[in-house]
Amino acid sequence: MFSRCAGPNSHPTERTAAKDSVSIKDSATSQSTSTQAVNLTYEQQQGKILYTKYCSVCHGEQGKGDGFNAYNLDPKPRDFTDPRAMAGIDDATLLATITEGGKGVNKSPLMPAWGGRMNKMEIEYVIEYVKDVERQH
Amino acid sequence: MGKLSKYFAVVSVALLIVLAVSPMKDFFREWKGYQYAYNQLIAKLPQRVKPAEIGIKQIWVQKLDRVDRCETCHLGLKEDALINAKEPYRTHPRIHHDIQEFGCTMCHGGQGVATEYKESVGNVKFWAQPMLPGAFIESSCGKCHKEQNVPEAPVLNEGRKLVQESNCVACHKIEGYQKQWVPSLDGIGSKVNRTWLVNWLKNPKQYFSGTKMPNFLLSDEDADNLADFLMTFTAIPNNSQFSPLPASKKFSSDTQKAKLIDKGSTLFGEARCISCHSINGKGGYVATELGKVTSKVNAQWLYNYIKEPKVFMPDVPMPRYRFTEDDLASVVEYMQSEFVDYDMQQLPPHTPDPASYEKGLAIFKKNNCAGCHQLQAVTGFSELGPDLTYIGSKKAYEIDFGNTKIEQTLPSYLKAKVLTPRIFSATAKMPKFGFSDEQATAVTVALLSNASEIIPEEYIVRPKPSAHFVPQGQFGKLVKDLECQSCHVMNGTGRLVATDLSMEASQAQPQWIKAYFKIPYSLRPTLTERMPNFFLSQTEINVLGDYIGNVFVVDSLNRTIRTDAALVSEGRGLYYERYGCQSCHMIGGKGGYVGPPLDKVGSRLEPGWIFHWLKDPEAFRPQSIEPDNKLTDHEADALTAFLTTLR
Repeated sequence: MFSRCAGPNSHPTERTAAKDSVSIKDSATSQSTSTQAVNLTYEQQQGKILYTKYCSVCHGEQGKGDGFNAYNLDPKPRDFTDPRAMAGIDDATLLATITEGGKGVNKSPLMPAWGGRMNKMEIEYVIEYVKDVERQH
Repeated sequence: MGKLSKYFAVVSVALLIVLAVSPMKDFFREWKGYQYAYNQLIAKLPQRVKPAEIGIKQIWVQKLDRVDRCETCHLGLKEDALINAKEPYRTHPRIHHDIQEFGCTMCHGGQGVATEYKESVGNVKFWAQPMLPGAFIESSCGKCHKEQNVPEAPVLNEGRKLVQESNCVACHKIEGYQKQWVPSLDGIGSKVNRTWLVNWLKNPKQYFSGTKMPNFLLSDEDADNLADFLMTFTAIPNNSQFSPLPASKKFSSDTQKAKLIDKGSTLFGEARCISCHSINGKGGYVATELGKVTSKVNAQWLYNYIKEPKVFMPDVPMPRYRFTEDDLASVVEYMQSEFVDYDMQQLPPHTPDPASYEKGLAIFKKNNCAGCHQLQAVTGFSELGPDLTYIGSKKAYEIDFGNTKIEQTLPSYLKAKVLTPRIFSATAKMPKFGFSDEQATAVTVALLSNASEIIPEEYIVRPKPSAHFVPQGQFGKLVKDLECQSCHVMNGTGRLVATDLSMEASQAQPQWIKAYFKIPYSLRPTLTERMPNFFLSQTEINVLGDYIGNVFVVDSLNRTIRTDAALVSEGRGLYYERYGCQSCHMIGGKGGYVGPPLDKVGSRLEPGWIFHWLKDPEAFRPQSIEPDNKLTDHEADALTAFLTTLR
């Protein structure tokens, strides 16, 4: 009856402190799958779908800049797993590059402008995923 | 009098205490603690965040008849600064829908009016729609979105695709799915050999890992009886007869045989069977595996089937190739030399049970084989599974969990059922589909989206009414014979593996179209599926080409393009330097592999179409990843002018 002023600490959640994930590790099975999608947030999962559709053909399925189309390209697509290649690239640069293409940020025109195919929210999803790829290495 | 006033005093005080209980309860609410803690949390943040007023917060969605008080504790939903905070204060992920318009429980389930932790989260007892675990959240999208490709809901789309392909409607009534074509079993005794059939019935995936046929977990005895039952059906459908194998198949020497096999191999390659059939796991996925097919069917059946597929397998979506008899014999000879199962498991010698027909028929009916496979001899009632039209609203307390130890919620039940159907009951008949964990989650999401909730019509997104264009006349006969719509869409009907032909004559030049039927060279080297060579006669090509040229035209795509030198040169500059088209397209051997090479595009495509395509690729082919560069008309004209000079 006289429930004290409860706070967030009186109900410890079952999840870890990591970002709330759309994880396959739900209650019906005790083991999680070993796929890469296990610990991605909702936004990162959406980003991964879009990345696979539009970006992986040049930038590679793992973001290493080694997609099958990279063979004939010069300069090669950027390797997101290489910290030196990604040094100093912040979210705003990523947004501008993806939206306006290489030509829009004074780089090679071989990078297309995706602002006509993806809206800002979708490009932000992709950026979340790319940042996750960066973080994993 | 004194005693009475004493009683009065005691009762008054007791009344005051009792009256005070309610405001005290309200003063010490659980959610107030969360709100105070939130205000303390945001005070420590570097960004300025507006502190929350202490009080219940609710979203009243009138149209959906819901009141959601989740925001009372989940205060940081709209604050970007709290993106890394602990729950319940974390920012809500960016989504398409506005939280004010939809509320929370519409997507998440749970008891919206609750303001205490234990009444909101998890399996609240007797609440009909408990909160959905995160993995199944996309099922809520499916409650309103009934169209084929729901944006931003990949798990739901995958699940619905799996439910459609696995042909669940063969046993269960579910709205929104159609029965898939499945080979009929008439005449199966003249088609397959018994050993293959018994092995297949025991484990279909061992022969063909991509098969949609589930495993019915038959005992050895049941498999034997069922096979014996099926092998009695030797009459070919439609009272047809087998044509004999041509004389060229009887060869006198090994070199003759080798020549025949060589020829067959070349023809097999030109026919591009691999566009639809997989061979040892590689190739198309819509037809059966051919890697071991001659250990399954006999040569005479194979020859006759390729000659006239629809006679031996009614309604099969396989085209009829115009092979000559000798050519087809060589193809069959080639297949017999390559597509053999060298590891086929031989069975112990078997004497059929005298009652095998009756026993086999009983097994056939019990497992509802007729739900998928047509067998004319079998009529009468077959046992079906439960109706799944409103399975998403099934109450957890109505489910029998048997002896299992899984969490007693509807999503857990459905997922476990889909993965291992017979764990809940010893008498269950549902077969095992061999889904992976992710696939089972996807199927569960698709099933959960079939709820009995009444949602206002303006919220529901219905699938576009499917046009049903059936071409008529000579053209129509050829289209049916060649099953063009297995890979092409025409006026809204068909499957989009290749191109949409509805505007083909405005897209490709007429002389190119006719030449393409004769030599269907590969336009996109990276694709598995390629247009087969049907070995059509010139008359047939003319019928097809003339119809396409006259009917599949869209006048609004016409455009005259100037090709003066200045415009062409400007187009060249745009192509290479501004838009970098060479990153995906090849010209003169230089460029990328993603799109088709553009070397001869000026003699293949119509200029008007090139212009409109460049202006908006997604409108013409949504699955293409060509960027939309938001070209001005002038830029598109220039690029088109440049491209039309490439002949």
